[in-house]
Amino acid sequence: MATLTVSTRVGLVAPWVEWEKRCTDGRRLLEAGTYALTEGAIAAGCRVFAGYPITPATDIAEYMSKRLPQVGGYYVQSEDELAGMHACAGASLGGLKAMTATSGPGYTLMHDAYGWSITNEIPMVVVDAMRVGPISGITGAPGQGEFYIARYASHGGNFETIVLSPSSVQEAFWLTIDAFNLAERFRTPVTILTDQVISDMWEDLFIPADYDALDFVIPRKHNLMMPFYPVGSADLDVPPNLIGRGTGVCVSAYTHTEEGYDIEDMAAQWAQTYRLINKIRHHTDQLARYETLGLEDAEVVAVAYGANARTVKTGVLEARRRGVKAGFVRPITLWPFLDELYERDCRYVVCELNYDGQLVREVMRAAPDKKKVHFMGKSAELHTVAEVAAGLEGVARSNRVPELPYIWTEVR
Amino acid sequence: MNKLAAKYLRPSQIPTKACHGCGLGMIENWLLQAIDELGFKQENVIFGTGIGCVGRQTFATWGGDNFGATHGRALAVATGLKLAQPDKKYLIVVGDGDAASIGTSHLIHAARRNLGVTVICEDNMGYESTGGQFSPTTPANYVTNSSPYGMAEPGFDPCDVVKAAGATFVAETTATQWHQTVKIVKKALQNDGFSFVHVRFPCNENFGAYALGTRDTLKNLEWIYEHTQGRKPDGSETDFTWETGIKHDVSNSRPEFSKIMRDMNARVQADMAAKAAAAAGDDKTRDDGHGTH
Repeated sequence: MATLTVSTRVGLVAPWVEWEKRCTDGRRLLEAGTYALTEGAIAAGCRVFAGYPITPATDIAEYMSKRLPQVGGYYVQSEDELAGMHACAGASLGGLKAMTATSGPGYTLMHDAYGWSITNEIPMVVVDAMRVGPISGITGAPGQGEFYIARYASHGGNFETIVLSPSSVQEAFWLTIDAFNLAERFRTPVTILTDQVISDMWEDLFIPADYDALDFVIPRKHNLMMPFYPVGSADLDVPPNLIGRGTGVCVSAYTHTEEGYDIEDMAAQWAQTYRLINKIRHHTDQLARYETLGLEDAEVVAVAYGANARTVKTGVLEARRRGVKAGFVRPITLWPFLDELYERDCRYVVCELNYDGQLVREVMRAAPDKKKVHFMGKSAELHTVAEVAAGLEGVARSNRVPELPYIWTEVR
Repeated sequence: MNKLAAKYLRPSQIPTKACHGCGLGMIENWLLQAIDELGFKQENVIFGTGIGCVGRQTFATWGGDNFGATHGRALAVATGLKLAQPDKKYLIVVGDGDAASIGTSHLIHAARRNLGVTVICEDNMGYESTGGQFSPTTPANYVTNSSPYGMAEPGFDPCDVVKAAGATFVAETTATQWHQTVKIVKKALQNDGFSFVHVRFPCNENFGAYALGTRDTLKNLEWIYEHTQGRKPDGSETDFTWETGIKHDVSNSRPEFSKIMRDMNARVQADMAAKAAAAAGDDKTRDDGHGTH
């Protein structure tokens, strides 16, 4: 397992910190998160979008239907999400970068294709704009119910997944390029786990003038020879396989050999699993994206991601103003889970948009003392600054989150 | 290994794991004959399949590029792949489960889009690799392991479904019709659009054993043959008859899906270029306007 050193002072750790400094020529717009996700994909070289419209991801489909023909790409409005992600897999196997976008109900249907893409190491990007559930829930309200589903985006086990979550419109743009890069490098689908607020929100957005000049975009390369599947190896940057060049590549749903032949054998199962798990676990240092604040003296740390992290961060600043030594951790990489962010032996208050408690369980696992990890679950609405400040104050002064309407604190 | 198999298939994957007497190998050989007679190069044909008897036993036999999709999704994968690799020939070889049940929505929409692939639906009239349960193509009243009192549900004819959905070539044959099948598959492969060929074949181990009461290959083939003729050897009528042959042929009559997409892109980009040129022209006019702007 690769480890990372968590800085207590640096605010944001992500590749786009550097990209933003280098990109100065461009346009400043007032645009939606869905627009930023679309343009980020186009900038990253995405040339196929196949998906089924669903609130709050529909606007990505609409933007893609307009943008892709302009750049020689293809928009496919698939008959369902099963078809959407499978068509993306087919396009990617044919050599084109591909993306789909959905919300929870569609994301669940995509797990069929997700597993197929994981096992066959097919790069692509899947956007899940989460809304509150279960099932259709409240279609126009934010939720964070797919934290674990995104980790276990297929049945059968024996794999790791990469999941990133942006918390602003601008970050959605850069993070989408990053997601495409990671998909290429790790040869795997990458989920952008966003939510209804980030998708629908309009915000200041800088867009570089010339996408072709973005030298940090990793172009599609092609593997044209054996081994098609480097089973037993954790190597990064293995070029994706290509169907259509007569290489004889075989792609299937089965446990495979390095040729791609189906095989029922313990040694082959072990070698394939080694590949799918360790190509990610051995390179977690390449995957760390996060934001921190106030960790140098924090006695209580608020943890949140996505849209919710915005009010939580302000709540941390408010608590500090009130004299609480409060800190803030915003994981951007949700999976693989960045355990190192929770090494500090202090109290934690995990704020997430579900009542069942998902992120909080991982923080409990990673933190030195799970009894010091508190939960503030909310559903369908962001935490208010007042709620977060009150929660941090309560935990700092009396080791408990005070009773607040619509805030769930119990984790069993 | 026969000459066609030696030329086109992978020696390491032949023979397949198919049961003794299974019709799959024979039909695959007919597909190879059609490809060979058309002179298609191995690297220009992509072989796609799904799950079940047909998926498992044909996957990775083809010497060129292969994919075996999740159950029912071969046509969904092919929809994306065709956009990226439009010049290839696609042989999508799937069973009645993939085509007529779990993946029917993709079949219908591939036909609607006129996706440029040839679907060979190799139909053994049930789910035989899971032990012989009925499928939407199991004939009425026949006993399977999930229809112990006879197939009670109405079935449907996948040829009717794809024809209604817009397929440009539709045909039906059986494993008793070698030359007709080769001829039909050749025609199907020459359609730059959605072609569907439904081929019924015998399963000895399950459908034969439970529905027909015999694991004898020849008896099972004979049962299929009788039902294409509508008559038993004693001259009496069979309980139903399959009409085989070409059901619908409007090959190359409407644009193929990936071509529609490419043509749209060309139109959009031409409009953009024209607008950009017009805007540049306006700028030039302004520049030459001696300070009138």
